Amino acid sequence: MTFKYFLVAALIGFVFYLLLLPRVGYLRKGAIFSVVIMMLVFAIQPDWSSSVAKAVGISRGADLLFYVSHLTLFFIAFVYFVKFKEMELRFTKLVRQLALENARREAEH
Amino acid sequence: MPYGTGQPGQNTMQSEAFRKVLAETFVVVPAYNEGRVIRDVITGLSSAFPNIVVVNDGSSDETAEILRGLPAVVVKHQINLGQGASLQTGITFALERGANYIVTFDADGQHRAEDALSALRLLAEGQCDVVCGSRFLGTTSNVPRMRKIILKTVVGLANLTAGTKMTDAHNGLRALSRRAASCLDLHQSGMAHASEIMSQLRNHKMNIREVPVQINYTQYSLAKGQSSLNSINILVDLVIGRFMK
Repeated sequence: MTFKYFLVAALIGFVFYLLLLPRVGYLRKGAIFSVVIMMLVFAIQPDWSSSVAKAVGISRGADLLFYVSHLTLFFIAFVYFVKFKEMELRFTKLVRQLALENARREAEH
Repeated sequence: MPYGTGQPGQNTMQSEAFRKVLAETFVVVPAYNEGRVIRDVITGLSSAFPNIVVVNDGSSDETAEILRGLPAVVVKHQINLGQGASLQTGITFALERGANYIVTFDADGQHRAEDALSALRLLAEGQCDVVCGSRFLGTTSNVPRMRKIILKTVVGLANLTAGTKMTDAHNGLRALSRRAASCLDLHQSGMAHASEIMSQLRNHKMNIREVPVQINYTQYSLAKGQSSLNSINILVDLVIGRFMK
């Protein structure tokens, strides 16, 4: 029981943290919010996960949570990888700008 | 015979006109830790081309010191970014300097200056915007078998994604007109840039032709070249690139 309370408290804390994040779009906030709420509901009422699992053709609720958490983590990793690549591109432009400015300066002398 | 004078009996440009073309041409050489071969590469190129731009891509070996005494302008990345990023830097610099023709040339000694001249001659005839070197046109006997299989697969994929009909996609020897070079805005810093170049040129409806080239496969160039597994990285980079803003 103790872990259940800890999990609920952590998830509620995460929801507030999410709502306060300034630079996250509404679509992304909504998607993460839905997953967290789902986790919160299943943490309070674990039996419901089995009902939902059966409704979508999965035998156990634990399996459903396992699949959903994997898919969510994969999605988050993908989003951050794209973000990392975008940041790398900005970084590349900065280094290029510096290299070109130095080359121009050397050409002038 | 010195480069740029034209081969007698061949249907090439007159030597005087071609000298003017050479004066308007910048050769862009991206270099990363090429200390062992860069001197020979630049010396070989400088006998044919008056304007050479080497992009030192954050080399940690003696490349920078060797380049100091060579007839080339050096643009230095403070850190290593990748060949695609280096090419874009070199092309931007060449365009700023007023280049009308740009030749891209690998620094590992696998290309021949005479092939760069052949590509430039074809480009300067004005029938196309880009000339790409192809190791699979003409004699291909010196391409190692495993490399041939990998490259053919990559070419097939590149043609599929870029909508081109090339025989060689990852050949670093290209000649671009100013118009074609100005269209390029490479986002792929690594080796996926070759497919990205073709894709961007195709999107801008550039007329692309190929010219047969010979690749000098040495132990050094093979070691510096791409591994088979890198083709997977290229594919991932291209897919991720589609999701970037």
